[in-house]
Amino acid sequence: MKKSKSMIVLLLTCMMLVMAACSSGGGDAAKSETSTEIKFWTISLSPTFDDYINGMVDTFEKDNPGVKVKWEDIPIDAVEQKTLTSSASGNLADVVNLNTEFLKKLASLGALANMDELAADVKGDFYEGVWTAGEYKGSTYALPWYLANDVVLYNKDLLKKAGFDTPPTTVDEAWEMTKVIKEKTGAYGYSLTTIRDELLYSGIPILNEDFTKAAFNVPQAVEIFAKYKERNKEGLIPEEILLDQAKPQEWYAQEKLAWWQTGPNLFRQVNDLAPAVYEKSDATSSFAYSTGQIPVNTMNIAVSEKSKNKDAAVKFAKFVTNAENQLQLSKLSSVLPSAKKAAEDTFFAAGKDSTDPVEKGRYLAVNQLEKSMDLLPPVENLADINRAINDEFKRMLSDDLDPADAVAAAEDAVNKLLQ
Amino acid sequence: MYKRSHAWSFLAPAGLLLLVFSIIPAFAALFLSFTKYDVINPVEWVGLANYKALMSNSLFWQAMSNTVYYWILVTPALVVLPVFLAVLVNRGLAGVKVFRLIYYFPTLVSVVVTAFLWSWMFQSDGVLNYILSLLGAEPLKWLTNKHMVLPSLALVTVWQGLGYYMLFYLSGLQSVPEDLYEAADLDGAGFWRKQMVITFPMLRPVIFFVAVVSTMGAFKEFTLMMNMTKGGPLNASTTVVYLVFDEAFTKLHMGGASAMSFVLFLAIMLLTVINKRYLDRE
Repeated sequence: MKKSKSMIVLLLTCMMLVMAACSSGGGDAAKSETSTEIKFWTISLSPTFDDYINGMVDTFEKDNPGVKVKWEDIPIDAVEQKTLTSSASGNLADVVNLNTEFLKKLASLGALANMDELAADVKGDFYEGVWTAGEYKGSTYALPWYLANDVVLYNKDLLKKAGFDTPPTTVDEAWEMTKVIKEKTGAYGYSLTTIRDELLYSGIPILNEDFTKAAFNVPQAVEIFAKYKERNKEGLIPEEILLDQAKPQEWYAQEKLAWWQTGPNLFRQVNDLAPAVYEKSDATSSFAYSTGQIPVNTMNIAVSEKSKNKDAAVKFAKFVTNAENQLQLSKLSSVLPSAKKAAEDTFFAAGKDSTDPVEKGRYLAVNQLEKSMDLLPPVENLADINRAINDEFKRMLSDDLDPADAVAAAEDAVNKLLQ
Repeated sequence: MYKRSHAWSFLAPAGLLLLVFSIIPAFAALFLSFTKYDVINPVEWVGLANYKALMSNSLFWQAMSNTVYYWILVTPALVVLPVFLAVLVNRGLAGVKVFRLIYYFPTLVSVVVTAFLWSWMFQSDGVLNYILSLLGAEPLKWLTNKHMVLPSLALVTVWQGLGYYMLFYLSGLQSVPEDLYEAADLDGAGFWRKQMVITFPMLRPVIFFVAVVSTMGAFKEFTLMMNMTKGGPLNASTTVVYLVFDEAFTKLHMGGASAMSFVLFLAIMLLTVINKRYLDRE
């Protein structure tokens, strides 16, 4: 009996200690009633950019006495789940780093604050073509942060073996060269992952102006589908990459691809996988689509709609995305700034004659910023729409269907998603 | 001295874990299957709407038929083939322990690593097509052809599961009394006759166990599809669990995903009952 009593006392003591530990946050808050704490989440920037983020946080806290920023970095694989579960429990960070597709999803659920109302004063600081990344149904829910637009890493040896001294400059030329490269070296040229971008950057909008219906069932789209059907018959499309079963960077590193069109910040992956292949690589500008526009991927900074310190959070979001901080980030990595003033810095000119593909790629990419456009429609189910179009495209290739029927089927599928 | 409280104290830790991480979430999912829930906005009761939507969801039925096909490919192989392996390694041959280890080895490899290894082997210019080319055969589209993809994935599952189920059969075999075989020898029974009249009947409880466990495994397979094919090509390898994941965590349709989970649960339960009825008879 005595034993069980002492067990109960011990248990209660433990529980009190745990409760005391859990409530320590409240104690801190009571201590400094005037201090405001905002939480800031980034995606996979730690540990590489710890000094940069911590330095930025220190400067902000110094300039804004009474505001404390608590930074947490989330691995890219966990970010969607963590963001969702935190939103569900009302614990989403005040300031949060999001990719464009997921941002639109969260905006559609009402989880993000309207930046047209809260940060309209800084809109002019950013490139027009990437400001749209934060849009959802006519309003803007994020400020653009760092970005990467497409440039091309190409294998000089493979091109030489196929009889080419220079890389292609347009998409059509790239496919023509692919034919020769495949025949002479066995390697592929182009690695297609989605047909959506080809449609968008050829001037075919995916949705109508009020985003209620598919708008891509036009003769030009049928023509594009037909071209790809032909290319597939000639064995020029690497199926595993199209089906997302293989990664283009790995195939490039194995010399199974002659070029890889992506952001220059990712070129290093080839160097990590196969330094010898990286050594014989060079960078060139993005292959030109008929509109002259360049695909771009933007990372965004959003503010939680439920933030209790929205003013401080918006101020911090503007601070993180300002030209000075973005330039500093670009100097530490190979990403590009979305702020115009940062991109004008002489730092980017240094890569012009560089033999390192990353440095040269960065120079080429920054010169493409004016033409870099985020053309994704501002709706929540972007990923589903992309998949629906791609599925019908792949069905056409695998089942040898009529291109016009495939485009019509894709249109139907997208319309169903929009209902 | 045995006391009821002793039993409870042993059961409590596991029971608590089961309650918190399995039973409560299962009931929560059952509740969610009657709601519309996107994780952020409040739960909205919709009655049977999710189940009605499932009935007309062609992708769900395709996923269900893929899952059943995958089960047909995997479970009979995993019930039958390991018996022969077990009989083989149960004999007192030289070096048999090494063989046991070799057969068991794939089980020790994580499914994700297995998926990556086999993805390389299945590539258009991978080792399997290389072997085919040496034999003068045309290369196969192991994972990129919609008719080939599920048999290819089933091959990986069978490869990985053989050693695991072999162990169960091995322990079953070692509990078969030796005198039964001796009596059969006296009666002049040959190797196959002995297996048919002694080994298989004596292994019936193990066969039942393997059938149930491999059925559940086949119906719940997700990792291979996630890492090797992303459910493709054209949903040809989308299983129900893969679809549940996609519906819940990509589309945020928690209600619809929960309804799918429950239909799958009923399907597995039904098959378990059938298994029990036909394989677990005394």
